[in-house]
Amino acid sequence: MLVSWNWLKEYVPLDMPVAELERRLMMAGLNHESTEEVGGDLAIDLEVTSNRPDCLGHLGIAREVAVLWDRQLKRPAAAPRESELRVTDLVDVRLECPALCSRYTARAILGVKIGPSPAWLARRLATIGLKPINNVVDVTNYVLMECGQPLHAFDLARLADARIVVREGLPGESLTAIDHKTYAVGPGICVIADAKRAVAIGGVMGGERSEVVETTKDLLIEAAQFDPLSIRGAARRLNLHSDSSYRFERGLDPEGLDWASRRCCALVLELAGGELAAGSIDVGSQPRPREPIVLRMGQLKRILGIEIDAGAVRRILKALGNEERRADLREIEVLPPSWRRDLSREIDLIEEVARIHGYEAIPEDVSVPMATSARTEHDRVLDRLRHVLTAAGYDEALTLSAVEEPWSNAFSPWTTLPALVAQTPILRRADQLRRSLVPSLLGARRTNETLANGVIELFEIARAYLPRHGGLPCEELMLGLTSGGDFFAVKGVIEALLAALDPAAQPRMEDCSEALFTSGRGCRLYLGDRLLGCLGEVSAAGLKQFDLRGPTTVAELWVRELEAIAIRVPQYIELPSFPSTSRDVNLELPAAVRWADLAAVVRASGGESLERLEFKEIYSDDALVGQGRKSVLFRLALRSREGTLTSQQADAIRDAVVRACGAEYGAVLRA
Amino acid sequence: MALAQFLAELDDLLAGAKTAFDKAADAAALEAARIEFLGAKSGRLKSAQKSLGAIDQADKPIAGKRFNEVKREIDAAFEAADARLTGRAAATEGPIEFDPTLPGRRPRLGHLHPLTQTIEDLKEIMGRLGFSVADGPEIEDEWHNFDALNIPREHPARDPLENFHLATGHSGPGRTAGDDVPLLLRSQTSTVQIRVMERTKPPVRIISLGRVYRPDPADATHYPMFHQIEGLLVDRQVTMADLKSVLRLFAMSYFGGEVHIRFRPSFFPFTEPSVEVDMRWHDRWIEMGGAGMVDPNVLRAVGYDPEEVTGFAFGLGVERVCARRHQVTDIREFYKNDVRFLEQF
Repeated sequence: MLVSWNWLKEYVPLDMPVAELERRLMMAGLNHESTEEVGGDLAIDLEVTSNRPDCLGHLGIAREVAVLWDRQLKRPAAAPRESELRVTDLVDVRLECPALCSRYTARAILGVKIGPSPAWLARRLATIGLKPINNVVDVTNYVLMECGQPLHAFDLARLADARIVVREGLPGESLTAIDHKTYAVGPGICVIADAKRAVAIGGVMGGERSEVVETTKDLLIEAAQFDPLSIRGAARRLNLHSDSSYRFERGLDPEGLDWASRRCCALVLELAGGELAAGSIDVGSQPRPREPIVLRMGQLKRILGIEIDAGAVRRILKALGNEERRADLREIEVLPPSWRRDLSREIDLIEEVARIHGYEAIPEDVSVPMATSARTEHDRVLDRLRHVLTAAGYDEALTLSAVEEPWSNAFSPWTTLPALVAQTPILRRADQLRRSLVPSLLGARRTNETLANGVIELFEIARAYLPRHGGLPCEELMLGLTSGGDFFAVKGVIEALLAALDPAAQPRMEDCSEALFTSGRGCRLYLGDRLLGCLGEVSAAGLKQFDLRGPTTVAELWVRELEAIAIRVPQYIELPSFPSTSRDVNLELPAAVRWADLAAVVRASGGESLERLEFKEIYSDDALVGQGRKSVLFRLALRSREGTLTSQQADAIRDAVVRACGAEYGAVLRA
Repeated sequence: MALAQFLAELDDLLAGAKTAFDKAADAAALEAARIEFLGAKSGRLKSAQKSLGAIDQADKPIAGKRFNEVKREIDAAFEAADARLTGRAAATEGPIEFDPTLPGRRPRLGHLHPLTQTIEDLKEIMGRLGFSVADGPEIEDEWHNFDALNIPREHPARDPLENFHLATGHSGPGRTAGDDVPLLLRSQTSTVQIRVMERTKPPVRIISLGRVYRPDPADATHYPMFHQIEGLLVDRQVTMADLKSVLRLFAMSYFGGEVHIRFRPSFFPFTEPSVEVDMRWHDRWIEMGGAGMVDPNVLRAVGYDPEEVTGFAFGLGVERVCARRHQVTDIREFYKNDVRFLEQF
C-alpha cells in the first residue's frame, strides 16, 4: 500500500519525523518497505497483511497513526446536497447473483462537466502511482485510496434502458474493459450488465463502452460488495488484477460502503458540478449486525505474560474504533468497528492491545520450566548410518522429491502402482512423486559428471512416495546410494552399515531382474524374510537413459528395516583370553556352488572354535581347475574358549571342514 | 652332535643365507635362495632344525635359543631382500632422501549436506531446551494442512495455485489415493503439530521439521521445495514471554554471544497474536521467522480447551538459516549436489 505523506496529513497531524513514523508503524504491524520522494511529497510503501484490509486506504493508516500517537482522527464529511430528483426514477438495478455480489448500491448525478482534476488531486494520485484521467474517474480512485472501498462511475446515458443487471457471465460472453483489452466473462464471473450487454467486470474493472469520457453528462455511481473468493477466481482466470479486485479479495467494511458512495458524490459535485438525485438504490443483503466481544482482563496476563493497566487497555480499544459497552475491573465489553471484521473474539482484542501497547514490553528472560527430551531412536539410527557413509567416503545429497515421468518409470522396485502426480510440476517437468530415490541420485550423478568431478559417491536419506489403495500414501524413508565402484564395493558399504547396527546381521541376496540393472548383476537384499532393499550395477541402457558416461552401481535400502535390526545398547560378551590361530583352506569345487552356501557348510562344520570365516579369493581357470569347477581360498580364524588350540586341534577342525564340504559339494583340497 | 659344532654350523648357515639373499639380483634368484635356505621340506634351516633333535638334552636350551635367533635373522634377511627387489622399501629405505613434506595417504571422507548439519544443530539446541522431535507426512489432507490450522476456505493460502495438489485422475489402477479426499504436498510443517496434538494430551513440547512445498519459481532465494523447522509448546500458563525467552535462548545457543529478540506484529491464521521475530546480533536486526500464540481455534480443533491451556509456536526456514550461516548466496546450490559444493561443509 503506497501512502502519500501529504495526503495522510489530511486526517491526522504528522509532526513526527518520517523515520519515526515508519518505525512505529512497523512495530505496530505495518512493515515499511521503502520511502520515495515524488514531486515534493513522500510515497511511503507499507506492507499490509491480509487480515487488515482496513489499512488499504489512507484513512485506515491515519487511524493507526492516531492511535499510536494518541491524536484525533479527522474523518471528512460525506453529506452531499441532494436535488429534487429521485434516483429510483432515473435508474433501475437488479441483483441476480447474490452469491457473487451480496449488495449493490447506486446513486445518480446529472449534468456533470468532465474536465481535468485540480492540481491537488492529480498530485496525490501521482504520488501513489495513479495516472490522472479526468475529474470523475479521479474522484472514484481518490475515494478508493482514501477509504479502501472501490467505486465505479458509469456514463448513465450509455447504459441501455438506464438499467443495471448484476448477473453471472453468460457462456461465450466477452467484453472490452477500460484497458482496451477484451475478456471472456463466462459463468462464475460476476458481470455488471445494462439491459443489453455486460458493461463491466464486477469488482475487477469497468467496461470501455460505458466509461466516463469528455462528453459524459450523467453518472451512475456504483458502490458494491462482491464475494472475495469469486473475485479472486475472476482476477486469476482473466489474469487481471486491479486495485479494486485486490481489495474485494480481502473483504471490505460492509458498513462503509454507503459512506464511500456519499463521499464520492460529494467530491464529484464539488469538482464536476451537476445535481445528485436524492437517495440511493440499495439492493442485496444488509450487513450482519456486529457481535459484542468481552475481554477478561486476566486473559492479557495469561496470554502475553505481562500486566497492562486497565486504563491503557480501554484507551487503546476505543481509539481503534471499538465502542465500549461496559467496563469494570475484570471485564470490558466492546462492539468492534465495522471496518475490523478480523475482530470477533477475545483473543483478537488481546492482540490489538498487545501490538499497540508494544511487544517491547514483553520480557525476553523469564525462566521457562525445564522438560525432558531425548534424541529419538530413529534419529540415533540415522546418525549411525550417516557416520558410516561419510567414513566410507560418500557425500550426502538432497534431491527434489519429484521427477519427470521417464525417470520415474526407469526404476520403481517397490510398487507397480503408478506414481502420484502433482497437478502442476514441482520444478520444470518434474510432476511425479518419486517411488525411489535412485533416479534422482543418478540425476545428481550426471550433474557432477558434466562438471568433470572425479569421485562421485553420493547417498541420500529421504522419503519415497508409495501409492496405496485408500488413505494417505505410504511415505517410506529410503537410503539411496550411487557409486563409481562395482557391485561388491557397494555391497561392502551395505555390509558395513548393517554391521554398525547389528554385527550379526547377514543379508541374503536374491537375483532380481530390474531393467535398470545389468543382467545378472542386480539383487534384492533380505534380512531373514524381510525385504531390505536392492543393489545392482546400472546397465548400459540405464546409463544411456540418464546420460551417464562412467559406470555406476546403485542401491536403495528401506530405513525402517535398518531401524528394526539396530541394537541400541550392545551387550558385553566375555572374551576368551587365549590366542587365535588360523588355517587357510583352498578348495576345488563345482563352479555353480555359491559362497553363501559354502560358507554355511563351513560354519556348521567348523564348530564353536571357528571364530571367523574370511573369504580370500576365488579362481577359475579351465586349464588348472578343470571345466565347470573353481577354486576358493578362505581362512578359518580359530580360537577356543577352553585353551590355546594346538596345531593338531586346528588341523582337525580344518579337516572336518574339508570333509563336510567334500560330502556336500564334492569339494577337494587343492594341492 | 656336539653343541659347539651345531653352533658353528648355525653361524655358517646364517652367513651363507645373508650373502645369498643380498646377492640375489631378481625374484627368481631370490626364490632359489629361499628354497635353499628356508625351503619347508629340505631347506638348510629345516636340516638344522632336525640336527637340533640330536643335541644333548642338557645343551638343548642354549642350542634352541641360538637356533631361534638365527631363524629370525635369516627371515629378516629374506624380507629385506624381498623388499629391495619388489621396490617396497623405496620410500623409506631407498636411496631417495626421506621427505616428510610429501602428502600423506588421506582416506576419502564424505560430507554431510549443509542442510542436514543445520537441522541437526537446531534439533540439538531445541532438544536441550526440552523439545522432542516429531514427524508427520509430507502428503497431507486439507484438514491438517488448512482447516485444523484455522485457514478458512477463502484464505488466499488455500488458492489452488499456491499449493501442489495431487492429481485425482482415475486414469489408472491404483491411482486411488487421492480419489476420496483431495491431497496436497504440505505447505508448512505445522501439520505435524496438529497430528501430534490430536494424539497427545498436553503438555506438548515438540519441534517438527522436514520438507515443505510451495509453487515459487526457483531463484536465488526461492525453491519450490524447502525445509522448515517449527516449535510448539502447549501447557498450562504458557505466555508470549516464554516464547520470547525460548527464542532468545535458542538464538544465543545457535549464533553465540548476546542476542536480543524483537517481535513485530504479523498475521498467520494458526497463531494469535502473530509476530515476526527479529534478533539483534552484532548490532543488526536480522529476521528469524514467524511465531505467535497458538490460536484458540487450533487448540479447539485438536480437542484441547483454550481455557485450560495456552501455547506458542514458531517456525524458521532452514535454508535461510543455513545460507546465512555459511554465506551461501544462491539456495539452488543446496539441491544441485555438486560434490565440490558438498565438500565445503
